[in-house]
Amino acid sequence: MPGTPFETRALFDVSLSIRDGEFVGVIGHTGSGKSTLIAHLNALIRPEPGRVIVSGVDVGQKGQSLIEIRREVGLVFQYPEYQLFEETVEKDVGYGPRNLGLPDAEVKVRVAEALSQVGIPEELSGKSPFELSGGQKRRVAIAGVLAMRPSTLVLDEPVAGLDPAGREELLKLIQDIHKGGVTVIMVTHSMDDAARLCGRLIVLNRGEVAFDAPPAEVFRHGDELVEMGLDVPECVKLVKRLNECGFHLPDNLFRMEDVERAILKEVRGC
Amino acid sequence: MAEAIIRVEGAEFRYEGADEDAVSGVSVEIAAGEFVAVLGRNGSGKSTLAKLLNALILPKSGEVYVDGVAAHEEKNSLAVRKMCGMVFQNPDNQIVATIVEEDCAFGPENIGVPPAEIRERVDSALRAVGMEAFRESAPHMLSGGQKQRVAIAGVLAMRPKIIVFDESTAMLDPSGRREVFDVARQLNRGEGLTVVWITHFMDEALKSDRVLVMDEGRIALEGTPREVFMQTDAIHRMGLDVPQMARLAAELRREGLQLPPDIMTVEEMAVELCRLR
Repeated sequence: MPGTPFETRALFDVSLSIRDGEFVGVIGHTGSGKSTLIAHLNALIRPEPGRVIVSGVDVGQKGQSLIEIRREVGLVFQYPEYQLFEETVEKDVGYGPRNLGLPDAEVKVRVAEALSQVGIPEELSGKSPFELSGGQKRRVAIAGVLAMRPSTLVLDEPVAGLDPAGREELLKLIQDIHKGGVTVIMVTHSMDDAARLCGRLIVLNRGEVAFDAPPAEVFRHGDELVEMGLDVPECVKLVKRLNECGFHLPDNLFRMEDVERAILKEVRGC
Repeated sequence: MAEAIIRVEGAEFRYEGADEDAVSGVSVEIAAGEFVAVLGRNGSGKSTLAKLLNALILPKSGEVYVDGVAAHEEKNSLAVRKMCGMVFQNPDNQIVATIVEEDCAFGPENIGVPPAEIRERVDSALRAVGMEAFRESAPHMLSGGQKQRVAIAGVLAMRPKIIVFDESTAMLDPSGRREVFDVARQLNRGEGLTVVWITHFMDEALKSDRVLVMDEGRIALEGTPREVFMQTDAIHRMGLDVPQMARLAAELRREGLQLPPDIMTVEEMAVELCRLR
């Protein structure tokens, strides 16, 4: 809240670069600067001081058109279903492309493609988005961003509030979108999801980058993560606990199936 | 089991225009002082059941008794709501005032509690949720967990015997979740408040006295957390998950390791595996 007594600095000297095709997890305590960071990525906030460069374009440059940047980087907010507003699913998903001034035929193609990417069957496209289930609404909202064909998708806690099956389903879709060639940056509170999906984790603490490394490396710092108000995946805790009582499991395991294999090997080996 | 403070018998409810019942033939008893978790996928009827307990909706058939009062009869609605408070999912949707203590006073003021007693109720409610230091703060400056605790205080100021939490931690971060759950658990243990805790988080269910799993408008599973989560296959079939260590234990058993069927936590898993080695 600039200009008020509540003005605070949310980010301090954050430097990082994200390559094409990465799947990056952003984790951090509430107030750590996650949302501020991602708002920089598509120029919702411009840094002062500092620079943000998206696909070679300096976001903060005076006179720089932001349309290109926002087309490049699609941002999915928390609870994106609250932003649905059109009469039909098809119109809602097509809202972005229509505003780009694309011809109707092209809008139609993009809408169909985006809906199929998020697993919404065609027969729902004429329905009001408000008649859908919670999980469906969220997927329609994500389709609205995908219809802009962004090269990077930024998602702020995409599975918050969903039931376990709905969470799994959506995470699978995000994985598929990533496999389709889109760079994915995902803010999450779930260490287990981060461990399972992301090739790289950026941990923010009080507006600074505390860690920026692959999950195996980050989760080795369990005690520091706990100090930051974060957690480590359950299986990492198990490995630590077992090694304390005489097991010799590698300390770089962070996926449940790898831990299972290592345990079986050690138990059977004796 | 202590005396039932909630008794539901064959309750059925259907939303207007729906083809199926949201709650279809639920019978359940909840004892005074119990902490009961309710699990179930979206659309399984959890929230509908919660609304029946609070007389926000009336069943089309069946009976609901809350502390002996018939909650299925419209004339008792206000009495039932005083006895059974609710805390919802979104912290921003349930705060009405611009100052924390005024928000807590909103309920008692509306039922005509004398000012001196309102003061006393608000103070003790804010103390109970650990928010007394924020009593003059503006709610929008608080964290999600703190806002939910203010919402709980607002309910407590009505002096209910039961609080139903409908996914009250869904929108919070891990520390906010812990904060709100711990307050609810503390009110239950310390003050004997009966708690119905609807959640999608299995670790919260694990810390409850009893778990009810709803599926297609019915109670499909019921028991202690261990009894319920041992039924890995049934839980998965209902679109839910078991705690991670329970899942790992099931996998390891499938691989032939001799592990007991009720492993739920890292500590239990570690103890059993060390024994095997």
